[in-house]
Amino acid sequence: MNRAEWSRFMTMYRILIRSSFRSRMQYTFNFWVGTAAAAIINAVEFALLAVVLHRFGTIQGWSIAESGYLYAVITLSKAMYRSFASDVHHLEKYLVSGDLDGLLLRPAPVLLILMTQNFSPRFGETLLGASMLAISLGAIFEDDPAIWTAIPLTVLAIASGAVLMFGIGLLTASSGFWLTRIDALQVLTEDAARTAAQYPLTIYPGWLQGLLTGLIPVAFINYMPALYIIRGTHGAWTLGLSVAVSGVMLLLSLKLWKFGLSRYQSTGS
Amino acid sequence: MIEAIGLTKEFRVPDPDASAKRRGLFSRRSIPKQAVSDISFTIPEGEFAGFIGPNGAGKSTTIKMLSGILHPTQGEVRLGGINPHRKRKEAARTLGVLFGQRTQLWWDLPLRDSYDILAAMYGLTPERKKDRIEELENLLRLSDFMDTPVRKLSLGQRMRGDLAAAMLHEPSILILDEPTIGLDAASKRDIRSLLRDINERMRTTILLTTHDMDDIEQLCGRVLVISKGKLDYDGGIAQLRARIGLPAVMEVTFRQAESAAAAAGELQSLGDSATEAAGGLHGPEPLSPAAAGIRLKSLEDRTLVLECDLKTSSSVQVLRELEKYGELEDIRMREPEFEDVVHKLY
Repeated sequence: MNRAEWSRFMTMYRILIRSSFRSRMQYTFNFWVGTAAAAIINAVEFALLAVVLHRFGTIQGWSIAESGYLYAVITLSKAMYRSFASDVHHLEKYLVSGDLDGLLLRPAPVLLILMTQNFSPRFGETLLGASMLAISLGAIFEDDPAIWTAIPLTVLAIASGAVLMFGIGLLTASSGFWLTRIDALQVLTEDAARTAAQYPLTIYPGWLQGLLTGLIPVAFINYMPALYIIRGTHGAWTLGLSVAVSGVMLLLSLKLWKFGLSRYQSTGS
Repeated sequence: MIEAIGLTKEFRVPDPDASAKRRGLFSRRSIPKQAVSDISFTIPEGEFAGFIGPNGAGKSTTIKMLSGILHPTQGEVRLGGINPHRKRKEAARTLGVLFGQRTQLWWDLPLRDSYDILAAMYGLTPERKKDRIEELENLLRLSDFMDTPVRKLSLGQRMRGDLAAAMLHEPSILILDEPTIGLDAASKRDIRSLLRDINERMRTTILLTTHDMDDIEQLCGRVLVISKGKLDYDGGIAQLRARIGLPAVMEVTFRQAESAAAAAGELQSLGDSATEAAGGLHGPEPLSPAAAGIRLKSLEDRTLVLECDLKTSSSVQVLRELEKYGELEDIRMREPEFEDVVHKLY
């Protein structure tokens, strides 16, 4: 792919996202209710965690602020992933209905077009995650100038985490080319794994920690980077490794996607 | 130019022999089934070809392989020389596809926006986009509803809009999958004349599938028939009629009612003896080879309605035979309906 082609694809991506957003805004009421609901659900979820933390003070040595940080990072990563690639998560719909046909007819990467369909900016989750992040970081680095390096590193961790979630999401979605129905698998690899990673990994038994690090590596979204950025118990390599894991996941998922696409079976008519 | 070379597509389907119990919960045992086997044809530039076949014959599968959506198990497709399975993006530029059953337009946005999006996808320059949209707007008469959201268009309007969407990037090949489905008679006529225009004026190669045989008869110089995954027929419409050999219907009016009755009586007995012969009984020799191809359908006053197999006897021969019974006043001939011809083939 040359530069001219890339710039055409980026223009296309922008126009598609904008059109997708305008389609969504035809139903303004639905959009704002959805946004508000997402923010409220996430807030309630964290409130429950906060109640537990408040009662016990810490979880396995992680303070409220530190747990809040883990929660905020993964929330922001997810919001970023889902904003920029919403329908990757909904590939099943395209496989079952045969709607992928139309995307395959365009002189542009199918994945890029898929990413722009039903664009849903996660304002609610972004707002909630950002404010939680600000409060947590403020509490952790009270009067500490190290906060000024922690902020850009956290942004890097969030972006890397978004790529990792995208990789996991795309790997799961691509298996749909063989399995067609994948919603149950998605509950496992995306929802359950993410929910688990909202808490410090140390609360889990060893085998589960291994699973969340080795098999579905959600630990690299927030826990691993946090060991360096806010805890300082480990070196910068934890963050470096996290970025590397994201990169590998991305490449793997793109490979499987490409292979899966050649196995696409479409539907009856 | 569209080339299909030995196209074969195999799907895996659950093994019908596997015991029902095992199949139910765990077994994923499957066997390969050929949906399309070894189809080859070439549609030269500027040709308008029809592609027909009953449901489940492999029509959609073939269309999807041709347009690069499905990868063939064996064989190759070339669109203007480009293989859409190796160079999908390149092939996509030479190809426009319309699925009558499924719109490619952006449902919630004004029609105009769909063209803006497509223009960006195909990387049209702003000037070219403007020219092209103007051209299609005139050709397909889109002006009245350019700013209407697609979901509010009538089916006929939507189909015109979809046709413009398929043609925006000036493809040299159009694949149209049931472009007249669900349309009323007037809209069908409208779409047909537009398609004829496109084919003639722009020399666009068109492959069309349909279940409406009028589409085929009025538009296509060539017809491909697929049945049970195999190409059954590839050629002109007239030859297809001849090959199937359905009888033509002839209405013959005699000047005198008596002549009509006599002719009818003769043909009737001829028909009966033919049936007897078929039943194994020895009957009289057929009177004349010409008469053998004629069957009486009805007699009303002075008018006989006959079915003639035009392969065994020409219409002139038939008339000569009939003139023996009296002077003729009027003749009317009806070719068999193409619809019926095709049904015979399925």
